[in-house]
Amino acid sequence: MLKLIARKLLQGLLMLFVVSALTFALLSAAGGDALTALRDNPQISEATIERLRTVYGLDKPVMSRYGAWIADALRGDLGESMAFRIPVSTLVWTRFLNTLLMGLIALIMSVAASLLLAVWSVRAKSKWLDRMIEFLIFLTASTPRMVLALLALVLSLRLATGPSNYAFQLIGGAIVLAVPLISLMLAQLKNGLDEVMSEDFIRTARAKGLSEWTIITKHALRPSLSPFLTIAGLSLGGLLGGSVIVESILGWQGIGALVVSAVRGRDIPVVMGVVLIASAAVWFGNALAEVLQFANDARIRTGER
Amino acid sequence: MIERRADAAINASVKAGLIILALLYAAALLAEFIAPYNYREQTRAEPSAPAAMIRFTDVNGNFHLRPFIYRSRLTNPRDLEYTEDASREYPLAFFVRGVPYDLVWLVRSDIHLFGVWGNDGETAPQVHLLGTDQLGRDRFSRLVVAMRFSLLVSPVGTILACIIGIIFGALSGYSRKGIDTAMMGVADTVIALPTLILILAARAAFPLELPPWRAATLLISIFALTGWAEMARLTRGQVVSVRDLEFITAASALGARQTRILSAHVLPNIAGPLLVQATLILPAFFLAEVALSFLGVGLQDPEPSLGNMLTSASDLTQLAEHPVLLLSPAAVIFLFVFATRLLSRGRRASVV
Repeated sequence: MLKLIARKLLQGLLMLFVVSALTFALLSAAGGDALTALRDNPQISEATIERLRTVYGLDKPVMSRYGAWIADALRGDLGESMAFRIPVSTLVWTRFLNTLLMGLIALIMSVAASLLLAVWSVRAKSKWLDRMIEFLIFLTASTPRMVLALLALVLSLRLATGPSNYAFQLIGGAIVLAVPLISLMLAQLKNGLDEVMSEDFIRTARAKGLSEWTIITKHALRPSLSPFLTIAGLSLGGLLGGSVIVESILGWQGIGALVVSAVRGRDIPVVMGVVLIASAAVWFGNALAEVLQFANDARIRTGER
Repeated sequence: MIERRADAAINASVKAGLIILALLYAAALLAEFIAPYNYREQTRAEPSAPAAMIRFTDVNGNFHLRPFIYRSRLTNPRDLEYTEDASREYPLAFFVRGVPYDLVWLVRSDIHLFGVWGNDGETAPQVHLLGTDQLGRDRFSRLVVAMRFSLLVSPVGTILACIIGIIFGALSGYSRKGIDTAMMGVADTVIALPTLILILAARAAFPLELPPWRAATLLISIFALTGWAEMARLTRGQVVSVRDLEFITAASALGARQTRILSAHVLPNIAGPLLVQATLILPAFFLAEVALSFLGVGLQDPEPSLGNMLTSASDLTQLAEHPVLLLSPAAVIFLFVFATRLLSRGRRASVV
């Protein structure tokens, strides 16, 4: 277990290093920075811009700039936002907490909904319900988050709350984020459960006279949980991508909306900060999913060596 | 019997998906013919006009066989209110003459699919099926042209990503264990990245305003570079499972070269799952393009794209007035994604 965690940690640090280096190189190679826009302003002289370049350290070569950036980043200092004039770490962290809140609610909703529906369909054994669920999976898989978010916006205009209501943004946004996840998780869970239910040990459990409820929750659910956790872990990247859209449309102040405004305003330190925290968050979620699998599934534990 | 019925359902879903896609592509290809007006032409007298009311009965209750519209005039410029002028009917017709265009870049023509039948000296009003946007541009014409960009960028990006992924995966599957593990480690890392945020970050490196062709090239390369990894993982798994089968051993015993074995024996046998994966990548790229254009960092005004047409839908006063008109690009987006899901559903079922 400790070995797994150590390996994951090393992998994550390596990934953060490579991703930040690549993003930094790409952003520097293109040349444009927040000061480029100032050049168009005749009121600002070339000398002022040069001075500002020295202040921000933009006159040094890329390698030394990245070196300085990473040295500061290790100390928790990600520089200052050029647009907001506050430390990037503070800005990105407060926004990230908002995104995390919405994302967690979405995750809980989708896990609960897919568990509920999958278990219900296995218990009910009704053809009609199976078909309904298949249709639901298909429909939720085909509806992009952008369309859903716009529909939520239209709906909010009809509601008394209006679109800028905190609770509406949070819950509406979480539902929009959750819908495509439900299709993924529900499909995975239902297939897994259907497969497990025809196994020998389930028949043994039935023969022992256990109730169907115990059989499903105690015996059938655990082996189907591993692929489910993998899917949940892998869907985190998509969840963050989806939050970019949802936050921009519904006006939720998270890192998704932040990165869009930073890209538009060429606020490079903020872009770097968001890339860093988003990659770290997705990596953490994946690592967590793997550790949970390890704890849940003896087959993985013994296979590990 | 049951199996045959399931097969029929699968075939039907693939067929339905292909038909929807074919219709969308045909519409995009013939966009200038289907669009009644030039998508860039601004009618300053008619900003944010509502959709044209297509009528069969006039104000006196008389029924007309040919549908017609009334001229609508901006009567309250402050609140953008329009009133119809019922003094004269303007009949609609198919194949009317309008602005000249080059069909499929080849044939010069000025016949449009439909329009107002203007046969006298007075200029006829325009028929705006979906109303006009803030600059008075015909929204329906823009919508038809907008499909073109999205429908071009995502498949090209998909093909490139698939090529990179298949080559990377096949190489990995045929490499020694150490190299194989390292290559798959790279692929796993790329899969786990928050792609859209990275795409946005990469986009920040380039000027915001780009001409359409450069925007297309940029988006396609970004998609190909971020989207290949899942394909690589799948290909590698499939190659490994096929690599040691007897017919491959037989081929190499016959003296076939590795490249020939790979292209003639391995790839055809694993094509099915790879194709399913491709139908899953396609809508992802399509949605990414729409998202980028929506956020203002993809294709930009005055060129229309499904994404940047939706940007105006975030204007709340507009959205409250005519939600359906503004959400029409969303309907096209849904249709495309739906069609690709129909395809992958059918393909997946037929593979498994």
